[in-house]
Amino acid sequence: MDIIVKTAGDDLPSRVAQMFENVIHQGHGSLVLVFLIGIMFGGIIQYTRVDKFEKIAGFAMLKDTIVPKMLFLTVGLASIGLYFMVEAGWAHYHIKPVIWQGLIIGGTLFGISMAIFGKCPGTGPVSIAEGRIDVLIGAIGGLFGGLVFTLYYNDFFKGLMGASAGKLTLPHFFPGHEHLVVLIFGIVVTIIAILIPKVEMFDEADLSKLPDDMRPDRQ
Amino acid sequence: MSRLPWWMGGILMAALLLMTFSIFGADRPLGASTYVPYAAGMIFGLDPDKYTYLKDIKAPGSWEGVMLLGALLGGFVTSVFITKSFRFSVIPTGWKKYKNNSVLSRLLWSFVAGFVMIIGARMAGGCTSGHFMSGMTQMAISSMIFGTVVMIALVVTGKFFYNTKDK
Repeated sequence: MDIIVKTAGDDLPSRVAQMFENVIHQGHGSLVLVFLIGIMFGGIIQYTRVDKFEKIAGFAMLKDTIVPKMLFLTVGLASIGLYFMVEAGWAHYHIKPVIWQGLIIGGTLFGISMAIFGKCPGTGPVSIAEGRIDVLIGAIGGLFGGLVFTLYYNDFFKGLMGASAGKLTLPHFFPGHEHLVVLIFGIVVTIIAILIPKVEMFDEADLSKLPDDMRPDRQ
Repeated sequence: MSRLPWWMGGILMAALLLMTFSIFGADRPLGASTYVPYAAGMIFGLDPDKYTYLKDIKAPGSWEGVMLLGALLGGFVTSVFITKSFRFSVIPTGWKKYKNNSVLSRLLWSFVAGFVMIIGARMAGGCTSGHFMSGMTQMAISSMIFGTVVMIALVVTGKFFYNTKDK
């Protein structure tokens, strides 16, 4: 695309315009496609209701298992599909590095706050879109978290996260057997998704507007 | 159908993930936490030359920013027309049942948890979408470490933070 937008300013509207400009010029899908991916992402999350506090914090209390079941199924199916797409040249891997301290400290902070908040950065916006004021407040907290991380990244967080131990993947450890490793991983993760016992915490307030025959808790 | 079953959600999410990864799509993973510091940089008017982290995240941050604008719209439309779950609310039902009825308590904990969550996600280099979903799909060891640590911290916190006994 040859759209050139002059957005040199430093004020907020210019910075927002620069965001769109960055997406247009970085070659990871057109602006419309990225927006559409977002619509589908939000739609799937809302339609399955996995953005609900009762689903995420409910999983932390082990009273709801829909989130892990759906996550594992997604990973199981997509891992096999992606591997063959990469083999065919239709996709690339974008592996995140193993940074031990960052992963362990960051993962611990993330898990604790996910249990309390009952949201994560992807499901949060979907909850805000359905009118959750508490999640909006949490998102403002998140903005300040992002601000602090950005301000002290070089002086503090970079050192705390530690050095990268490389971009490792599971098939790297089994040279010559990559196909088999991928198939086993995908199938095992899919089976785990099916085997996790289905437990659901229903929220009366969430279902009250539905007619009786549409309610998942009465079927 | 007013709710999608988990297996349908898993299949659709896998399809969306593969489309995002494909060279015919976006040729990148699906992520959802880099946009937060990016948005903080925009809103607080930080200078990328001084705070170099903003330079590192310029491309993924803006991509996810647009993606999440789409998610807001997709979530809104679905909640109004399909799941009928749109309503303004402050305290989730599960919080009332297993924690307390205090608006102040829920809002304060939400703010603090949101703050800590983004620091955690940025330290680990991803969140549920970027690490758990996109990373594990690539069989990345980093994402498996992240997934394991998060699951343990999540369940341990759930056990001690909420009153789940006899309910």
